Amino acid sequence: MTAHPTRIEPSILHKLAMHSPDPENRAWTVIREKCMMKLNSTPFPHRKIEEWRFTDLKTITRTEFTSLDKAGTLPASDIEKYFIPESDRSRLVFINGRFHANYSSIGGLGKGVTVGNLRNFPKNKVVQEYLNKLVNYEGDVFTCFNGLMFEDGAFIHLEKGAKAEAPIQVLNLYTDSAKPFIANPRMLVVAEEESDVTIIEDHIGLSDNRYMTIPVCEVKVKQKAHIHHVRIQRDSTEAIHMSRPITYVEKNSEYHSYTITLGAKLSRNEPRVIQEDEEVNFTLDGLVLIDGEQIADTHSVMDHRFSHANSHQLHKVVVNGKGHSIFNGKIFVRRDAQKIDSFQENRNLLLSYDGLVNTKPQLEIFADDVLCSHGATIGNFEPEEVFYLQSRGMTEEKAKEVLTYAFALETIENVKVESVHKLLVEEVHRYTKANSIPKQKKVIV
Amino acid sequence: MLEIKNLHAIVESEGIEILKGVNLTVNKGEIHAIMGPNGSGKSTLAKVVAGHPNYEVTDGDILFNGESILELDPDERAHAGLFLAFQYPVEVPGVTNTTLLRESYNTIAASRGREELDPLEFDDYIQGKLELVEMNPDFLERSVNTGFSGGEKKRNEIFQMAVLQPVLSLLDETDSGLDIDALRIVADGINKLHGDDDGVVLITHYQRLLNYIVPDYVHVMIGGKIVKSGGKELAFELEEKGYDWLESLATVNGEAK
Repeated sequence: MTAHPTRIEPSILHKLAMHSPDPENRAWTVIREKCMMKLNSTPFPHRKIEEWRFTDLKTITRTEFTSLDKAGTLPASDIEKYFIPESDRSRLVFINGRFHANYSSIGGLGKGVTVGNLRNFPKNKVVQEYLNKLVNYEGDVFTCFNGLMFEDGAFIHLEKGAKAEAPIQVLNLYTDSAKPFIANPRMLVVAEEESDVTIIEDHIGLSDNRYMTIPVCEVKVKQKAHIHHVRIQRDSTEAIHMSRPITYVEKNSEYHSYTITLGAKLSRNEPRVIQEDEEVNFTLDGLVLIDGEQIADTHSVMDHRFSHANSHQLHKVVVNGKGHSIFNGKIFVRRDAQKIDSFQENRNLLLSYDGLVNTKPQLEIFADDVLCSHGATIGNFEPEEVFYLQSRGMTEEKAKEVLTYAFALETIENVKVESVHKLLVEEVHRYTKANSIPKQKKVIV
Repeated sequence: MLEIKNLHAIVESEGIEILKGVNLTVNKGEIHAIMGPNGSGKSTLAKVVAGHPNYEVTDGDILFNGESILELDPDERAHAGLFLAFQYPVEVPGVTNTTLLRESYNTIAASRGREELDPLEFDDYIQGKLELVEMNPDFLERSVNTGFSGGEKKRNEIFQMAVLQPVLSLLDETDSGLDIDALRIVADGINKLHGDDDGVVLITHYQRLLNYIVPDYVHVMIGGKIVKSGGKELAFELEEKGYDWLESLATVNGEAK
């Protein structure tokens, strides 16, 4: 696999993005030009910037990234084992951000549902209307990198009243490469009035391959439409994951997203939901399970711009080893957005002495008739809970495993797709089993 | 089977001594009641015997079937056949009653040479135990104690006792918070579970429970020690006279030491 080697320092990442060969797709020239301009005025983040205060970016700045000029390949067995049975005929497969038609299958979605890869829809009206229009490049080099470098992406469109007959799996796989590379997956989802779809967005890195993926996802939920969006981040332990999902919700619509963060050495997830009209209901739940030297950062925005919204954000984190979790949950309630019921809670289970948790709920409320509850807790197990289970015969380790499992499980209860739910339960189980939890000081002597 | 000898224990974090020389012997087939005013150390005694990590034993010993258990973790004590019914049973969201009980039953069974049960066998086994405390089978699939009323939590403790078949049960204020019907159900359950080969220690404020469960011995605990022991009639005396007349015993003994 040949690559374009480039020395990496922050500014050089800019250069890499700016000089990456534009895939021959002229339709995206406007996007490239816009991103080029934005990037010229956007510095690479560093810790003196408030939004990046806690996030150590050394993993990025010290890595020599390249852009791949060939699509990666994988043995079929490595790909197929990640297929979920419910999406047997509703699956898109991308390897290193490039579409693989032979592993994809889109026949099982019923009428009014268009699914495919963006490159295949240059003249599509929906693509022309929304691609690059929802995304927010402001102040963020990573979104700009994606805009300059993305080569393809997933496209999901539901016509008015269309109900997808099966969940759509968007499977993003990352291969091994001689040199660390950048992948730029892209996704555009437009759900027209009264449509309904479930999307399983999966990012998987094999073993310990080194790459940075910058998934940018634009979602539009029109009136009375419903989207259930599950995002599973199972990147390799050496990977960097910088995801930027943005969702606009119209009147009477529902958007429920559940982000499960398991992999990557460094991840920064920046989900945003923006209310476009009254009477909406949205969820931005997260579960983070990290250990070793993983850094998992979630900077979210829930922007209430109109009255009558219900929003929910339960962000649960388990940290072991030298793991570092960062959470900044912004909730905006604009001046005329009354009758908002917003719930936010960040609960952290810190299992080790060397782990670190930074949490910052950030509520900016300019309306007066709102109900916003928020809370953040950081703690280890309640000794009373451990003792209770021990007195019932469980060893201390087993008791803690059971309690960690129970702590994590709450977040994934709402994942509706059975095999995915099962998969996540297994992942939680694997995490709690693999992490021997440090024993507390024995007291009775 | 249980011998508590001159037991002294402190709250580990504060260094305050709560148990100041407790002596108690429980033999097979016996029911003992420990009574006493608030703060006398009754619950602490139960927790220390069960191995609660917040307390440190500074003197004395606890022998169970002739062996000291001070070095054993709480789970090892459970494996040996000790059971503590909690005064305030802990809620464990996300873990169902069945999961907890099967796990507990099988680890205890394994360490005591009983046969472990697979999920189906366990379901059969557990059904009979439900009836003992008149518990709704729905409870099995609910998270342990989560959202249970006070009475339901206490009943759940006795249900666990029924399932785990301990050799020695310490019941810490199992009667508090129960209405009269629930009290009868719980007491009936305990009576049915108790036999010639096991011992029961009831910790209670009130004589009321002892109308349903007749103890062989009654002990009064004040100021971290047992100041008086007697037969079941002692409970009636306490009900009538309160604890005041015994307070002096605690003080005199305390100073005499």
